[in-house]
Amino acid sequence: MKKSDLKSAIKKERFFFAMVPAVVWQGLFLFLPLLFLVVISFIKGWSYTGVHGGFTLENYTSLLDFSHLRVLFRSFFLALINTTVCLLVAFPVSYFISVKSRRWKNCLLFFLVVPFFTNFLVLVYSWFFILERNGVINKFLSLFGLGVSGPLLYNMPAVLLVMVYCYLPFMAMPIYSSLEKIDKSLLEASSDLGANFRQTFFKVVLPMAFSGIRTGVFLVFVPSFGEFVIPTLIGKGEPFLVGSLVSYYFTQSLSPSFGAAFTSISCVFLVIVAFLWFVLLKLIFTKNLRGSDNGKN
Amino acid sequence: MGKIKRYASFLFLPLFVVFTYVFMYVPIVVLVVYSFNKSSLPYMWTSFSVDWYRTLFYSSAILDAFKNSMLVAFGAVVLSLLMSVLLVVGLVELRIERLLTMFYGTLIFPEIVLGVSLLSIFVFFSVPLGIVTLIVGHTLFGLAYSVPIIYSRYKEINKYFIEASMDLGATPTQTFFRITLPMLKPALFVSGLLVFIISLDDFLIAFFCSSVSSQTLSLYIFSMLRSGVSPVVNALSTIMLLVTSVVVLVLSSINNRIRIF
Repeated sequence: MKKSDLKSAIKKERFFFAMVPAVVWQGLFLFLPLLFLVVISFIKGWSYTGVHGGFTLENYTSLLDFSHLRVLFRSFFLALINTTVCLLVAFPVSYFISVKSRRWKNCLLFFLVVPFFTNFLVLVYSWFFILERNGVINKFLSLFGLGVSGPLLYNMPAVLLVMVYCYLPFMAMPIYSSLEKIDKSLLEASSDLGANFRQTFFKVVLPMAFSGIRTGVFLVFVPSFGEFVIPTLIGKGEPFLVGSLVSYYFTQSLSPSFGAAFTSISCVFLVIVAFLWFVLLKLIFTKNLRGSDNGKN
Repeated sequence: MGKIKRYASFLFLPLFVVFTYVFMYVPIVVLVVYSFNKSSLPYMWTSFSVDWYRTLFYSSAILDAFKNSMLVAFGAVVLSLLMSVLLVVGLVELRIERLLTMFYGTLIFPEIVLGVSLLSIFVFFSVPLGIVTLIVGHTLFGLAYSVPIIYSRYKEINKYFIEASMDLGATPTQTFFRITLPMLKPALFVSGLLVFIISLDDFLIAFFCSSVSSQTLSLYIFSMLRSGVSPVVNALSTIMLLVTSVVVLVLSSINNRIRIF
């Protein structure tokens, strides 16, 4: 009797039990580790083998020096430039694929999506053949006697170039899909009603692409702020960025609690910056929309 | 003069697109071409050969890395699909869909943050790093992609089918396996492929949460790159590009029914 009671209780609550694995997984392997990271950032001299000291703010205060802030701001500016360049390149391309291309649409889309899904390291690797000492660019330049003696790798511009290359699809895909949702007859209607190209673009296309631009900015800015692979391989650690420093603290130095503190600071910094991005984008776009309202009146 | 200006503005956009595609594909084409180079010096073209592909299939390090990658990817796909379906059904039936936001959180943080936090908690509880910890990390990412896709498909399923099935005397279990699951199939397929590709692509989780014995393909390429360029890696990259292209073709052929982006 009691057993069947239990059985019917389980049956009644089966939807609840169905949710348990995923929720527990998410809690155990996402929220708990993140919380753990914050906790160890407040512990004095924590190491992997166990807790050493008590509560302290030292991990944070010792990080508030010029060299750490410089790494933070360098990452920020690199991510900012990367996001801006990606946006400026990806928007016209997505616009062309979505609105202008007719016969070539599927083909163009295919070649846009393939790098999106390709292994990141393969993309980075391909640039070695372009930028190395005997690579494509140097060979081309030496035809005119302009060859450089060393490789074109291991510097800031090379890192930025490869970052733009790798993140371009992450900006283009969401913008494309938001542009694709626009009913194309709206554009015709706009021009039929006497709007010129510029008016149609700023008052119809751009406001409707807003959600795609927002997603793209987010998808590019956040990972490029924490980028680790490209500066390590293409730059050989130059420029020194947040990702490299976090990796150094956790894998090489013997004080992961500094790393935890630095990671927490970077995350707070990132949240503030992301918030500012949203406010800025919103401001630009609502201003556009308001402008169109004024135009009507 | 006005005519020239009009032509210039007419041609600017297509030219810009062509230039961007050239920029995107020149490195890839060069990479593929050099994988067929006979010389072992990576930048000197001598003659055509497929020697490096042969070397690739006989290299035990690469085969091991391939095996590990496949194991991790399949593990992550199976686990994340299973958990997502159960979660979505539970969430929708209990009408607590607000809980979904919990699963979007994964992608807000840079991957490296998740990597180091998983690393520190694994080491602290002395969980040995290896295939299992990799599957754990990749399943976390898998959930972030598969839950929204399966959720949106489940909402689209006509509730009358399920009600009709129940009215005609099917038990909830029969209804689930004969009606709900077959209707979810395209969504399961798409999200499975997506999780698979994301697991193969991942580098940062693998970098922090794996041991020497559980190298994945990404880690192998990374370690090779640190010591310099090798044509074997070109061959490997070419094959990986080919696999990606096939997956994209498959995805785009069913994209009419399911929207990935």
